[in-house]
Amino acid sequence: MDFEFSEEQGMLRDVTREFLTEQCGPDHARKMFDDPLGYDPKIYRRMAELGLLGLTFPEQYGGTGLGNVDLAIVMEEMGRVAYPGPYFCGVVLAGGLITASGDENAMARYLPGIATGEMTATVALLEDALDWGPGGIQLAAKKSGDGYQLNGVKRVVSFGNSVDTIIVVARDGSGDGEDGITLFAVPRETAGLKAEATDTLDMNEKVATLTFENVTVPAENVIGQVGAGWKAVAATLLRAQVAASAEMLGASRKALEMSVDYAKVREQFGQAIGSFQAIKHRLAEMLEAAENATAAVYYAAWALDADAPDAALAASVAKSTLNEASRMITGQAIQIHGGIGYTWEYDLHLYWKRAKHLEPLYGDTAYHRERALQEVLAGRVAG
Amino acid sequence: MDLELTAEDRAFRDKVRAWLDENRPRKKLETMEERKAWHRKMYEAGYIGMGWPKAYGGQEARPMEQAIVGAEMARVGAPPPMNGLGIGIVGPTIIHHGTEDQKNEFIQKILSAEDLWCQLYSEPNAGSDLASLRTRAERDGDEFVVNGQKVWTSGGMTADWGILLARTDPAAPKHQGITCFLVNMHSPGVEVRPLKQISGSSEFCEVFFDNVRVSADNVVGEMNRGWQIAQTTLSYERGGDLLSRVTRLQATFSRLLEVAQKLERNGRPAIEDPLVRQRLGQIYSEVEVLRYSALRLLSKLEKGQRPGPEASISKLYYSELDKRAQELMQEILGPFGQLMTGIPADLARASEEEGEGSSWAYQFVWSRAGTIYAGSNEIQKNIIGERVLGLPKEVRADRQALKAQAAGK
Repeated sequence: MDFEFSEEQGMLRDVTREFLTEQCGPDHARKMFDDPLGYDPKIYRRMAELGLLGLTFPEQYGGTGLGNVDLAIVMEEMGRVAYPGPYFCGVVLAGGLITASGDENAMARYLPGIATGEMTATVALLEDALDWGPGGIQLAAKKSGDGYQLNGVKRVVSFGNSVDTIIVVARDGSGDGEDGITLFAVPRETAGLKAEATDTLDMNEKVATLTFENVTVPAENVIGQVGAGWKAVAATLLRAQVAASAEMLGASRKALEMSVDYAKVREQFGQAIGSFQAIKHRLAEMLEAAENATAAVYYAAWALDADAPDAALAASVAKSTLNEASRMITGQAIQIHGGIGYTWEYDLHLYWKRAKHLEPLYGDTAYHRERALQEVLAGRVAG
Repeated sequence: MDLELTAEDRAFRDKVRAWLDENRPRKKLETMEERKAWHRKMYEAGYIGMGWPKAYGGQEARPMEQAIVGAEMARVGAPPPMNGLGIGIVGPTIIHHGTEDQKNEFIQKILSAEDLWCQLYSEPNAGSDLASLRTRAERDGDEFVVNGQKVWTSGGMTADWGILLARTDPAAPKHQGITCFLVNMHSPGVEVRPLKQISGSSEFCEVFFDNVRVSADNVVGEMNRGWQIAQTTLSYERGGDLLSRVTRLQATFSRLLEVAQKLERNGRPAIEDPLVRQRLGQIYSEVEVLRYSALRLLSKLEKGQRPGPEASISKLYYSELDKRAQELMQEILGPFGQLMTGIPADLARASEEEGEGSSWAYQFVWSRAGTIYAGSNEIQKNIIGERVLGLPKEVRADRQALKAQAAGK
């Protein structure tokens, strides 16, 4: 039994932290607020050189073949800088979905490009209904000649206005529920596909509304088997829950560190405010939450890698834990800083907003408590 | 990272499981003799003082092995061993700070529970601020004469011996005038009165000292260094605690699930009520987080790291979690959860034990103790804030007084 990172994992964390701290500090994040692309492609490509883009992809498709623990390490670092760019949507979501589909042709076609940074990608999942299950998928894919025609709307698509390729989760009419769901790779520049950038709370997370109007997609762009796409989506959602939890953990750790530093130097009534129990106890509670959150994130990542019987349970536990912990930690960080914490110039809101952005995604707290109970009732707990 | 048990640990778990299956008492242990007999059986099997040095009768077992024994005992609801305080605190203190005579006289009897021990630290006016204790020990030839009062003494009624902190130099600053003694609880002048708790039972006591004579041979360590001894108390029993808590909470949760399937709420089984399901999901998830944290801590211990102040974080979490979980259970059970007797059969019991301790109500009441005992959670937060996060100490009236005193001299 060993809960510690390997030496290689420690190095991965150090290298990632060093790179992101140097290249993507708060000044960079702020520069991206109003950038139409929302990220710096040069920095993104350099992540390929560090092996971050192909981190979890199979080696024969340009990846490093690492697991979810390694991915969580990287995501925690991304959270620490509230990284602005299509890493999560390209590597965790699109790359993860293509890999999970088991479709060797699609892997050969897309993964090497994503791993080198030459191709950016995202996944279009959510529609008008707030539903993380197959019931939410209503965008229609109709057989048309040799290919398909897509009609419908996808919302809150991460970097949907700028990536090269969009993996669309659509309903092909061949079944209900988990059946009849097919994945399509759609180039963003396709006739009938309108990508409309929207502003959201987290200004470093560019999201778009995608409207599909008779968008024609050739049959060769189907990923996996027609009508059998949900299984890969479900597997990707599990990984996304853990990766998002790791990113929220990073944002929380950063906000906690800033608060501890501030409480040591900010003086009122002739002494550092960190000496007051009102502040000290709050910081202790924040550390407690961060430590528990760390255990939850890395346990869940390990459970996925080990294909443990409680992997889905652990993913839900991690996400509900981080939803609550990151809200508390980043929120209390603002409270501890007082007025300065509420200003645009101070960086705390970057982390608070990143945590809030991720909180409802891939399942909110209530969703995951219900899921956890279902797993327990089904007996899918640790052996 | 690899969070599976090793083959070696699995084999050990199976061995412990088989031993418990064969040896654990199947009925409630009523008398002191029955409890001591069970303790001796565990001691002879090598499951007591597992982390103690071999030279003193221990096993020098790894933290994981200690944790496995704790978890396996909790799994089957085996009665706990005795003398937790003696084995956890007094024995290690004597081993580190005691004389050869003290070691020869006390150590073996602590492990075997031949002598039961209690801790005589807290006083009516010295709780979180323990160093302000006032019980006096005055030298009289080869003896000390002890006068004063202690309180919240767990196991005081049954203890044969107590580890005592008493003031030996009233003129010295408060942390520097305290000495540590070993006191025979059967000495003339020792009076133990049970305190009735909000649960209705009496696990702890107040202890009065009226000219109690203690041999100078029973001083532990140097004179006036008792505070330092109490502060640096080392425990060999590590890592077993958290996982056994997890196992107990999981067992309670399983019973709660059974109840939720039988209890009807608003025209349907409670388990079908989305709000009940949210609470169940929350409790189980939070217990899982405790399990993950316990594994993380165990992994550090296995590597020989000694989490010091970080232990305060575990204490904070498990005690608050227990309170939260018990409140959520009460919300699910409604007035039935408060019944101490006459509980409808379908609502089962909160634990495997017999007697009042097994009711949901008793467990609910008991959860209030955890955030107070072993250093209140407010004190734990001070420790985390100051020793882990490095925040400045708060301004304290007693420190100001000391400074003023020093300046006046």
